[in-house]
Amino acid sequence: MRLSRVAAIAGRILKQFRHDRRTVGLIVIVPLVVMALIGYLIGDKGKEPLPVAVVNLDAGTETPSGHISLGASIANALGVKGQIAVESATSERAATERVRDGKVAGAVIIPADLTQQVLGGVPATIDIVVKGTDPGLQGPVIKATQEALANLAKATSAAVAGFEAPPLSIRPVSLEGGVGLSTLDYNAPAMIAVFAFLFTFMLTSVSFLRERSSGTLERLMASPASRLEVLVGYLLGFIGFAMAQALLILGYAVWVLDVRIAGSIWLVLLVIVILVIGVVNLGIALSFYARNELQVIQFIPLMLLPQVFLGGLFWAVQTMYPPLRWLSQLLPLTHSTVALRAVMVGGEGFGDILGRLLALVAFSAAMVLIGVLALRKQRA
Amino acid sequence: MRQAANGVAVEATGLVRTFGRVRALDGLDLTVHTGEILGLVGPNGAGKTTFIRSVAGLLRPTAGRITVLGEAPGRRVAAHLGYMTQSAALYEDLPVRDNLMFFARLFGLSKDEARSRTSAALAVVELTGKERVPVRDLSGGMRQLTNLACAMVHGPKLLLLDEPTVGIDPVLRLRLWDHFREMNAGGTTIVVTTHVMEEAERCHRVAMIAAGRTIAVGAPEELLRAAGVGTIEEAYLVLRERDANGNGRTS
Repeated sequence: MRLSRVAAIAGRILKQFRHDRRTVGLIVIVPLVVMALIGYLIGDKGKEPLPVAVVNLDAGTETPSGHISLGASIANALGVKGQIAVESATSERAATERVRDGKVAGAVIIPADLTQQVLGGVPATIDIVVKGTDPGLQGPVIKATQEALANLAKATSAAVAGFEAPPLSIRPVSLEGGVGLSTLDYNAPAMIAVFAFLFTFMLTSVSFLRERSSGTLERLMASPASRLEVLVGYLLGFIGFAMAQALLILGYAVWVLDVRIAGSIWLVLLVIVILVIGVVNLGIALSFYARNELQVIQFIPLMLLPQVFLGGLFWAVQTMYPPLRWLSQLLPLTHSTVALRAVMVGGEGFGDILGRLLALVAFSAAMVLIGVLALRKQRA
Repeated sequence: MRQAANGVAVEATGLVRTFGRVRALDGLDLTVHTGEILGLVGPNGAGKTTFIRSVAGLLRPTAGRITVLGEAPGRRVAAHLGYMTQSAALYEDLPVRDNLMFFARLFGLSKDEARSRTSAALAVVELTGKERVPVRDLSGGMRQLTNLACAMVHGPKLLLLDEPTVGIDPVLRLRLWDHFREMNAGGTTIVVTTHVMEEAERCHRVAMIAAGRTIAVGAPEELLRAAGVGTIEEAYLVLRERDANGNGRTS
């Protein structure tokens, strides 16, 4: 082995990178963006407390040492750690409505005779009403309630000598998802959206890059075909492919993995079609900024990771640091994940996800415009 | 062999096109007559491809005027143009026939029309029998023939050929030129760029280009006479020198 030859090869690679500023930029930027996001998402930094409605029906009871209301103690304890913002609700119905509308992450229903039951040594149950379509959202509510109950039991045992707290249990009540939903049921909608995005983006950006680098795009542009005709032709071609792929994933999920679809499958397909239209154009537009296939591949983590992190797949959007929450509303994967979950897990209808559909339409329209503008570069 | 020049196919006056600080075309004047084969000669970077792309409507001039078949370049004119790009711009995965069919349909031909024109074009470039072969399996020469067939499949009035014989062996080069002449005899006006000076002698007229301007235009024999030399290559050097010294242009 001659060191000079090895050094020449290593040196050449370094030199090539120095001349490829885009690659160097992506090597630096992508990990920084990803790590910063993870820091905010996993850490508690900048997170706002999750709004939770508490219905305290517990009247408490008089004891020799004064009036005791365990319900009030639980309500107070919920907000102590700062992860939950307690919002008092007057009735179970009002609280449930707030959950259904997505105004609060959940509702903790404290039964009327909680204090009496506990002091009487009778096991009691606290209902936690959640929407049931977003595990990232109900998890923190259940966890905070469990912690509050554990602390309470500890405090009561310490205060009353010889007293052993009876079991206080939690019963999650899902409004839409229902019991028996697996992690897969919750995550399948998000995965379908992610795969539709990923495969469509790769397919379009690489094919369009090829169309450009092989010179066939120049030929297309020298023909009587208008930019819009080229773009719509591309769209139809890729939508066919992307939809076939989405159907394959969906079919596998439903028939093989037994993922449930509570709502209309047509609505699921509609969400995917709108997403795909946007992504095809995103792929076309971004391919103009890449000189080769390697650079297109480098765009993928930059496009996909922030969307996967912010789109509600792993962390509920409502629990995020506010600027990230606003950013997530600009990302198509957030809207498609929420919409697909609402339809597949929650069985929601067209009217319920209209806002999300409109957001996706706006994204797609913006991307079509950017696609047309990108093609203009080819004929100028 | 020469056809009567009875009209104007392309008219460029004071054509300027800049790319940043580079002036690829710097006041180029040129008329292409209907029915002729006009050769654009000049070294790399002289502005030949920029001119061809301006005619094809792919580049908007920074200044000056250009008309193609009596109109400003654009989609309406594009229907009557055939453009053969420098490298074979083809869909590698598709068979030869599908490439031709695609371009024929793109130019608005009906399916039946496209089918018969595709067969005809393949016959002209002698690729009948190769129609089902994917382009990626073709030799360099056959790719270039397919490239030409794609450019002419819709029967254009004006054919733009950008360095069509680069990297082609002499036998195939002669064959390509036979095809160009055949098409020209059928009434197609041809503008062909080349930096192979001997190819220029096969054209009816030659426009010599340097630094984005025409330095001389005329029939090959006229240019040779004006320069007082024996080859187009020598004539180019003499006329460029003369142009740089401020002497007038030929024809």
